[in-house]
Amino acid sequence: MKLRILLADDHEIVRRGLCSLLLKHEGWEVCGEASDGREAVEMAKRLKPDVIIVDIGMPSLNGLDTTRQLMQYDPQFKIIVLTITDSDQVIREALDAGARGFVLKSDAARDLVSAVEALQSKRMFFTPRVNDLVLAGFLDKGHVVSRNEPPSLPTLTVREREITQLLAEGKSSKEVASLLNLSTKTVETHRSNIMRKLSLHSIRDLVVYAIKNNIIQIQMPTQISAPETTAV
Amino acid sequence: MTIRILLVDDHPIVRQGLRTLLQGRGDWVVVGEASDGAEAVDKVETLHPDVVVLDVTMPKMNGLEACRLIQQKHRNSSPEVLFVTQHDSPQMMREALDAGARGYVVKSNAARDLLEAVESVSQHRVFTALAQGPEVSK
Repeated sequence: MKLRILLADDHEIVRRGLCSLLLKHEGWEVCGEASDGREAVEMAKRLKPDVIIVDIGMPSLNGLDTTRQLMQYDPQFKIIVLTITDSDQVIREALDAGARGFVLKSDAARDLVSAVEALQSKRMFFTPRVNDLVLAGFLDKGHVVSRNEPPSLPTLTVREREITQLLAEGKSSKEVASLLNLSTKTVETHRSNIMRKLSLHSIRDLVVYAIKNNIIQIQMPTQISAPETTAV
Repeated sequence: MTIRILLVDDHPIVRQGLRTLLQGRGDWVVVGEASDGAEAVDKVETLHPDVVVLDVTMPKMNGLEACRLIQQKHRNSSPEVLFVTQHDSPQMMREALDAGARGYVVKSNAARDLLEAVESVSQHRVFTALAQGPEVSK
């Protein structure tokens, strides 16, 4: 029986590349593709894939929260997180969320097949840097703890993180309510709780919080140097 | 008509995705790949592609610099440059066209726009499409 893999990435071009890579392996099939975290959760529940590959930076519901929701639904799900950054915070959050694999997008062509093979054999797979952190003995009850990290921030619930992302992406409370099948009043209540928990005073503060905590990702503009002018 | 294409992106998985999309056209050939702007400039010299599919944000030399250098070095025989980028920005698009590019599409819509964009720029027609904002300009 073939190993069934679900892909979640908001760029079709990346999904095509991943598919092309994975389908070279006989015995594997891509059973579904999702373009955002919400769709990934729905498809995973329906298709029950053996392995799920999730991009961290997706709209509507990011990869880390997708992982949390999936693990809450079924702790047996095997999830590989695909990310452009291997910062300590992202690593810690991915492991805390329950991911069993962690692959840098820039190294996906090299590492992804090994990562899927590892998860298929019920092993974990991390980039070398994450392995180093684990081996250095920073693991503490399943959590990667950095000795120099500031005290942890107040914890948002899964629902609150979901709503934080949507608000930070610019959606109104009414739009969030419609997307999540909630009443506007409920969303407003969650919003107030979020702002109070995090001691924030404006949507701008919320956006900054969301960026700092990898709830949303922004794309930095490329520094463009003007071409040299030549004297006439 | 055979179109010779050079793919330039710092992520191998993106280059693989582009290859897969381009495979649909049997008369098009991917003649090479590069992972940064400097390598792209070198490969244009050696491979003489008709179209360079180019990312903007890359290490060593970004796509805009590479495009300018390619135009400078090859003047009248320069390949056409098509940017395929994450930057869904009218300003970036204008800079790309000013740098000498003929096309600009956004990665999130590459699956929809790439083939038509390559076809257009190979015939020296401008093709631009942002994900948000003005409609496709051909």
